[in-house]
Amino acid sequence: MTAIAPLFSDPYRQAFAAFMAERRESEAIARLRRAAFARFETLGWPTRHQEGWRFTDLAPLQALTLQKASAALIDAAALPELGVAAHRLVFINGRLAPGLSSERPLLDRAFITGFSQALPRDLDLIAPVLDALPGLQFHPFAALNTALWEDGAFIYLPQGTVIEEPIHLVFYATGGDMAVYPRLLLALEDGAQATVVVEYRGQGRYLNSPLAELQLGHDAALHYHQVQEESPQAFHVGGIRVHQSRASQANLHLFSSGGQLARTDLEVLLDGEHAGCLVNGLTLGQESQTGDYHLRVEHAQPHGTSEQVFKSVLNGQARAVFDGMIHVRQHAQKTDARQTSRNLLLSRQAQARSNPRLEILADDVKCGHGSSTGFLDPDAEFYLRARGISLTQARALLVHAFANDSLNRITLTPLRDRLARLLAAWLALDSIEGN
Amino acid sequence: MLEIRNLHATVEGREILNGIDLIIRPGETHAIMGPNGSGKSTLANVIAGREGYVVTAGEIRFEGKNLLEMDPETRACEGLFLAFQYPVEIPGVANLYFLKAAVNAVRKYRGESSVDAMDFWDLIHERMDLVKMDESMLKRSVNEGFSGGEKKRNEVFQMAVLQPRFAVMDETDSGLDIDALKVVADGVNALRSPERGFLVITHYQRLLDYIVPDHVHVLVNGRIARSGGKELALELEQQGYALYNEEPGRARRAA
Ligand SMILES: Nc1ncnc2c1ncn2[C@@H]1O[C@H](COP(=O)(O)OP(=O)(O)O)[C@@H](O)[C@H]1O
Ligand SMILES: [Mg+2]
Repeated sequence: MTAIAPLFSDPYRQAFAAFMAERRESEAIARLRRAAFARFETLGWPTRHQEGWRFTDLAPLQALTLQKASAALIDAAALPELGVAAHRLVFINGRLAPGLSSERPLLDRAFITGFSQALPRDLDLIAPVLDALPGLQFHPFAALNTALWEDGAFIYLPQGTVIEEPIHLVFYATGGDMAVYPRLLLALEDGAQATVVVEYRGQGRYLNSPLAELQLGHDAALHYHQVQEESPQAFHVGGIRVHQSRASQANLHLFSSGGQLARTDLEVLLDGEHAGCLVNGLTLGQESQTGDYHLRVEHAQPHGTSEQVFKSVLNGQARAVFDGMIHVRQHAQKTDARQTSRNLLLSRQAQARSNPRLEILADDVKCGHGSSTGFLDPDAEFYLRARGISLTQARALLVHAFANDSLNRITLTPLRDRLARLLAAWLALDSIEGN
Repeated sequence: MLEIRNLHATVEGREILNGIDLIIRPGETHAIMGPNGSGKSTLANVIAGREGYVVTAGEIRFEGKNLLEMDPETRACEGLFLAFQYPVEIPGVANLYFLKAAVNAVRKYRGESSVDAMDFWDLIHERMDLVKMDESMLKRSVNEGFSGGEKKRNEVFQMAVLQPRFAVMDETDSGLDIDALKVVADGVNALRSPERGFLVITHYQRLLDYIVPDHVHVLVNGRIARSGGKELALELEQQGYALYNEEPGRARRAA
């Protein structure tokens, strides 16, 4: 494509060749990887001249010499707990750590497992559905993930299966400039229901570039939570693809507070009538963190509903980027789609860029979008202080009031409570500066 | 308990208060009347410590301490209360939560432990009855969507819960019908005691039928033009502020 692409691809080409030489897997999967790598080479490393990457500065990541992920031992205490019985898979540097995981009995034909634990026969099941969903076709990191994933979580629930206990997937990286490409493949057959919590954590500097593929059959329901608490030096550049059939409901909660750069690209295709999707995003940023969401929700069929609510709270020199597109195809009449992005700046140096967009080709729809960015209300601050509440506490109260409805949309109580505590601890930072 | 001497203050570079002297002793209730724009709210805000109000000369002592050195929350914790002319709406912060945070902030300042949940609940209910406030207001966000009357009542309710030593009421009566006005007055009167002081800012003599002041001051152009007993309020009602270069009708309309 561009002249510079091969330059950057070169180390990747070597890495890919070395990687492929070590893998022992079916030709179907190998073929998938080669095609994805070719796509990555064609797309090239994103530059800020590209529309979707204008506000994402990858230069500090590009300057690193990334290392192949390797095994590491870690202290189980560093891993997040959900506080309730859960199907738990822990991945260290992209590989399943069975000793840290706790599998629970499942019905016949249901799977909650690591790719690496799956039998070859099951892997053959996976191959045709891996990378089969539309979306993120032009995302170089999605292509890289398909080329280079070492392991991943495979969740498959047959028709009508309802799993009450949450599925807790923990991805932990141990730094050393490692690059990890964890994969998640989730398929809910018709009427199946699941609650999934995906946690990203780590220590030191690394690149975590996960890719999740979420497929919902007719009437399936998914509560999906992504909790991004990467280490402060980490780069997180991930993608999520969602495909929804008739009357399915996907509630996606995206929480982000870690990483020096954290970007998630999300594409949702509402591909059946009466499908519904909620995306609830909350980003906390401080110092020079960047939290970045790129979102495309595509209504392909009539009577779909979608709501995206993104909020960010930014302190220090933190930045938030929100680029959201709702696309309503001509056939998708009676679509009801709303999108809002609200940013609260706690310092004069913090910055938010919101770009909510609508493309509507159908004529009988209800669509709306809006965005706002502002500082704390000084009148409210004074009102609270005039009642004896300290400046720090007054600000914390006001920020909490701003962020709280994002947390209240999370119905998984133990997670919501944990995030509320995290928010409270974050607010107690005495670095919230005055204006 | 509150001593204001030669107070000068500016807002955005404009001199609004031009040398105010006022001494209020424990147990006393003073009323400040005056035409619109004369600086009544400016005085209230300077006492409460609002940003943007710059004291250029003079001093304020509260129970002997230099009030102007304290930040707003310290003033409140020391026992000062301002009932706002325009109470602020705070979406997302429940009234009850806000009150508890305020009560505990004051207790912490005094070196006391957090309020006991049952005691707090009893206090809240007792004070709600006092200002005839509906319990549903506790769950609602602070002042959000409240009518003008509800907002003023909420101010008195907060005062009744916090039990300050000195309260400034900035036009707590404006916009109230006679029943609501009585509720507000009852709330204030219930708190009057030999230890407490009040500074009641009002535009109308009407409120002073219910909250009978010990002293009345007329504020004009940032100065106390006249002081007297409660009969001064009646006189003003009849004559307006004409003597002070203001027409009574104008003052009333502007309220
Ligand atoms: N926050 C402010 N910003 C700008 N001007 C102000 C502010 N507060 C008061 N003023 C000005 O100060 C003067 C006195 O206002 P104020 O104290 O509100 O009068 P009152 O309460 O007696 O009606 C007015 O001219 C008003 O415009
Ligand atoms: Mg006023």
